[in-house]
Amino acid sequence: MWEPQEVGAMRSHLSEFKKHRAARIDHYVVEVNKLIIRLEKLTSFDRASTESAKIRAIEKSVVPWVSDQDVPFCPDCGTKFSIRNRRHHCRLCGSIMCKKCMEFVSLPLASKLTSASKEALGSRTSPNSSPSSVHGSRRGSISSLSSVSSVLEEKDDERIRCCQHCKDTLLKREQQIDEKEYTPEIVKLYEKLRLCMEKVDQKAPEYIRMAESLNAGETAYSLDHANDLRVEIQKMYEFIDALSKKILSLGLHEDPQPHPKILQLQRMIRYSATLFVQEKLLGLMSLPTKDQYEELKKKRLHMIALETQGKQEEKQKEFVSASAVNGDETHIKKGTVRKSEGWLPTSSISRESERADPLLQQIDNITSFIKQAKAANRIDEVHTLQENLRQLQDEYDQQQTLKAIELSKKQAEEEEIQREELQVLREKEWEREHHKFLSQHSRTRSLDFREVKQHLDVTWIRGDTSFETPAVEQLQAKGHETFTLKPQNAPQCDKDQDQPASLNPFEDEADTPQVEEDPTNPFAKDTSPVVSFSNTAQQSDKKEYNPFESEEDEEEQSNGAPGSTLNPFEEDENPFEKPGSSWNSGNPFEEGSSINPFEVEDGSEISGEEAIEEELLLQQIDNIKAYIFDAKHSGRLDEVEVLTENLKELKHTLAKQKEKSNC
Amino acid sequence: MNAVLAVRQYVSKMIEDSGPGMKVLLMDRETTGAVSVVYTQSEILQREVYLFERLDSPNREPMKHLKAICFLRPTKENVELLVQELRRPKYSVYFIYFSNVISKSDVKALAEADEQEVVAEVQEFYGDYIAVNPHVFSLNLLGCCRGRSWDPAQLTRTTQGLTALLLSLKKCPMIRYQLSSEPAKRLAECVKQVITKEYELFDFRRTEVPPLLLILDRSDDAITPLLNQWTYQAMVHELLGINNNRIDLSRVPGISKDLREVVLSAENDEFYANNMYLNFAEIGTNIKNLMEDFQRRKPKEQQKLESIADMKAFVENYPQFKKMSGTVSKHVTVVGELSRLVAERNLLEVSEVEQELACQNDHSSALQSVRRLLQSPRLSELDAARLVMLYALRYERHASNGLPGLLEELRGRGGTDRYRKLVSAVVEYGGKRARGSDLFSPKDAVAITKQFLKGLKGIENVYTQHQPLLQETLDQLIKGKLKDSQYPYLGPNTLRDRPQDIIVFLIGGATYEEALAVFNL
Repeated sequence: MWEPQEVGAMRSHLSEFKKHRAARIDHYVVEVNKLIIRLEKLTSFDRASTESAKIRAIEKSVVPWVSDQDVPFCPDCGTKFSIRNRRHHCRLCGSIMCKKCMEFVSLPLASKLTSASKEALGSRTSPNSSPSSVHGSRRGSISSLSSVSSVLEEKDDERIRCCQHCKDTLLKREQQIDEKEYTPEIVKLYEKLRLCMEKVDQKAPEYIRMAESLNAGETAYSLDHANDLRVEIQKMYEFIDALSKKILSLGLHEDPQPHPKILQLQRMIRYSATLFVQEKLLGLMSLPTKDQYEELKKKRLHMIALETQGKQEEKQKEFVSASAVNGDETHIKKGTVRKSEGWLPTSSISRESERADPLLQQIDNITSFIKQAKAANRIDEVHTLQENLRQLQDEYDQQQTLKAIELSKKQAEEEEIQREELQVLREKEWEREHHKFLSQHSRTRSLDFREVKQHLDVTWIRGDTSFETPAVEQLQAKGHETFTLKPQNAPQCDKDQDQPASLNPFEDEADTPQVEEDPTNPFAKDTSPVVSFSNTAQQSDKKEYNPFESEEDEEEQSNGAPGSTLNPFEEDENPFEKPGSSWNSGNPFEEGSSINPFEVEDGSEISGEEAIEEELLLQQIDNIKAYIFDAKHSGRLDEVEVLTENLKELKHTLAKQKEKSNC
Repeated sequence: MNAVLAVRQYVSKMIEDSGPGMKVLLMDRETTGAVSVVYTQSEILQREVYLFERLDSPNREPMKHLKAICFLRPTKENVELLVQELRRPKYSVYFIYFSNVISKSDVKALAEADEQEVVAEVQEFYGDYIAVNPHVFSLNLLGCCRGRSWDPAQLTRTTQGLTALLLSLKKCPMIRYQLSSEPAKRLAECVKQVITKEYELFDFRRTEVPPLLLILDRSDDAITPLLNQWTYQAMVHELLGINNNRIDLSRVPGISKDLREVVLSAENDEFYANNMYLNFAEIGTNIKNLMEDFQRRKPKEQQKLESIADMKAFVENYPQFKKMSGTVSKHVTVVGELSRLVAERNLLEVSEVEQELACQNDHSSALQSVRRLLQSPRLSELDAARLVMLYALRYERHASNGLPGLLEELRGRGGTDRYRKLVSAVVEYGGKRARGSDLFSPKDAVAITKQFLKGLKGIENVYTQHQPLLQETLDQLIKGKLKDSQYPYLGPNTLRDRPQDIIVFLIGGATYEEALAVFNL
């Protein structure tokens, strides 16, 4: 409603003010400077070791003395000069006064005044000039040491006579110098305080940028660096707090208490520092833990991957339309699909509970995000997250398909050969497709899916391993592309939980079954994510991917795979895992899901995980401490209580965690 | 044209110009008010201004490590005090800003006092008024007129305030005034005189349509200030009193210590900014929503923090919660007190009769209603007097005027004489003889039709039927239909186009009802 508005009219009177002031000041400054120059001349020799006659000569040369005849009365007090009441000359202006009205300038004061003005001069011209000039003049006086001093009544060794007016002027000048040189404690502390605040103002935005980027799973900044910066900023806050506290208590223990206004100033500085800390510290978002960061990175990679996925699907579509020829054969296959649909939904949990798939992890993450968002009442966020979830689930469906193919591929004996061929073909394919479908994003995933299925049907019906290759390579290519963000890793990398999305799960399953024996293997890792996934997965989704598994199942059964257990994956794993019963005993399923579906870990990973949790806990404790301090400061005792309780709880949790990790 | 922003920018510029370091803001009584309505203490603290001092305060300690920003009205007393201050400076540097035009001789006197060269700046910053809302300003003057003419000191002050507003908004307006009011004409002439004298200052970039200053007299519409209000800001002012954004709640029964005085500022209080112009019923709903929102957040604090996510959420939401709790308790208290007063003083009924008096033309029914209410023991003395005043103004010349009877009843209710005397004073001030325009009967065919249609449709809200006269005046002004014969231009030039920037000054003060009407334009 209000448009920007320029600042209102203003008028400066400064130049006029200065003009008037200058006229007044000039006179004053000239007077002072004259006196100081004379003072310098008067003190430039060693008075103690100079004859009084000589001193008088020098003094007279500095300023012409008013002749005695001209002044019959003391101009200040009006008494008549006589033999008894003798005339005295001011050494600075040459005027005459009586002894009573006479003042003295001590040598220390004189040197203070002269050196101060010299410094002022020196600093303006060159910093070295002032000390040397002082030295020069002193040395000159030392050379004239020779004469013996006669103690005369009138001789002033340590002081210079002057009139009241000159003395006044000089004293005023001294006061000015004192004020200029004296910096009270509060100013020093305050300057430090402002310096810290400036640093925070510089660093905080940088940190916030980093934290935002990291929390979005980007890799532009390093987590460690951000943590360092956070620590640095927090240190600044501590400084600010300490400094402002110090300012607050300045002079409180001195005997005459400082003026109430000074105390008020100190309180206000402290208050504003508290406000500053409050405001800035709050903007300081927390960093993800290492663990969370990895999750975030994965999530982001998947987002990117999903985009590429869109292109892939387009590609598949084309491929299918080109190659799906045998319509009736597809038909037959579809019949079997329907038949096997019945048992799948029930089996899905147990089956999926053993799956190690970053996608599933991700899906689970998102489900828990949705839960959190729902709890926080952020509807639009829930919507976007649900959208993400749907995409991920679709993606997962795709992967299931891939796995099916992989399985059948495994059953084919010429696996290695295929792989080599595949690699070449895949690259070619990828390049070709990449050009074709650069900017396409598919919203017709389910449709594609069916087409893929058709395609698969075709290949499987033929039952010829050599014929299967194109299909596999096609899909394999897709799978690969989903993860191309990092170079394809060796399957063993799966042991590393933190391995980002580059791992290609079905390759591992297919090619390196021995991995499954590893206790840290990813299949065991992902127990609860899958649970929550399967809980939230929509029925329609299941229907979409389940047919595939049933197909695989078909395929496997027809290939004479051992046992007709619930699904092919278990069949796959069971031979390896059941013998090694350690899997069951160390099943992290219960333990992991009890706290938070999102922070599930494998048994062997617990200590590492908890170290991170500890870190987070410590961070939280710090934060809460800061709030307690703040609440105390502003006297909200009930809040302090609540906070203290929280703090206790946190500390308790921390202790428990430590115990656990020590076991 | 945002008055709050104008003063704010002045203050910001002062602080900026003084550079880094600890600062003290040295003000007088009036500038303290002007600054306090546009800047909160915490805002100004963040800009290194730690102390606020009155120039006339005798108890000031020398603090040579502070820079002094002086924002003062250019009065004789202030200049004299400042001369003394500069002779024995208490602070290291002085940045001097006068809130209005200062004479050259005063500048000279200051310059000659500054022997220690502590003054770094001498400027005029025209923040010489209280910016109540972005579109409302006040000079906080009480009793500007004696009878039908200006108190000379107040005329000077008003002229200064009004010209300062023009300067701070950079407007050099054409002036129209209410012909029937002598004070309006005088003020118009005074403003014109200043503009002519300080033509260099008023030399702003010309806009296509020059701004317009319309000077009106409160006596033309004495009805509006007598009505009870039902929008938030207006109600708070009517029932509790807003003084430079501060509300004194110390008389509220059972008030807690930190709510004795609260600040309601649209600049820093989102709830207030959103609700200040809404009516009481809507405020009730919004307060309820605010509470619910607050309650929703609240349980989180009390509940056990089980997971790390909970704790994190707690820590992140905590300050927001704290801030919210301040807002909530403030508004709940204020609204609670308002509704207590409404119930205690029977204001709904009172307001209905007030509106009937102001807006309808049925003498016998109105008289009956007033009589009935005067019988009620719950009616407060003030409300009773106001009803009689309204009646007196409304049916001043009615054939069967029942005023003597009403006054008699008023006396019968007891209470002080003061309010009874007010009735005749109000008629004197805003009666038919004083008015230049017809306050009650519609002026033209359009207005008559409007009223007729309104009657047909039924009244939407009996408590807010009344529209201030100002609204109609402005309506006509904007349409270019305001009669030159009633509101002549000062000087030979007249505005041919419809005005765009309009500044209205109401001698005798504007009401929040009128502020709302302008806001709704």
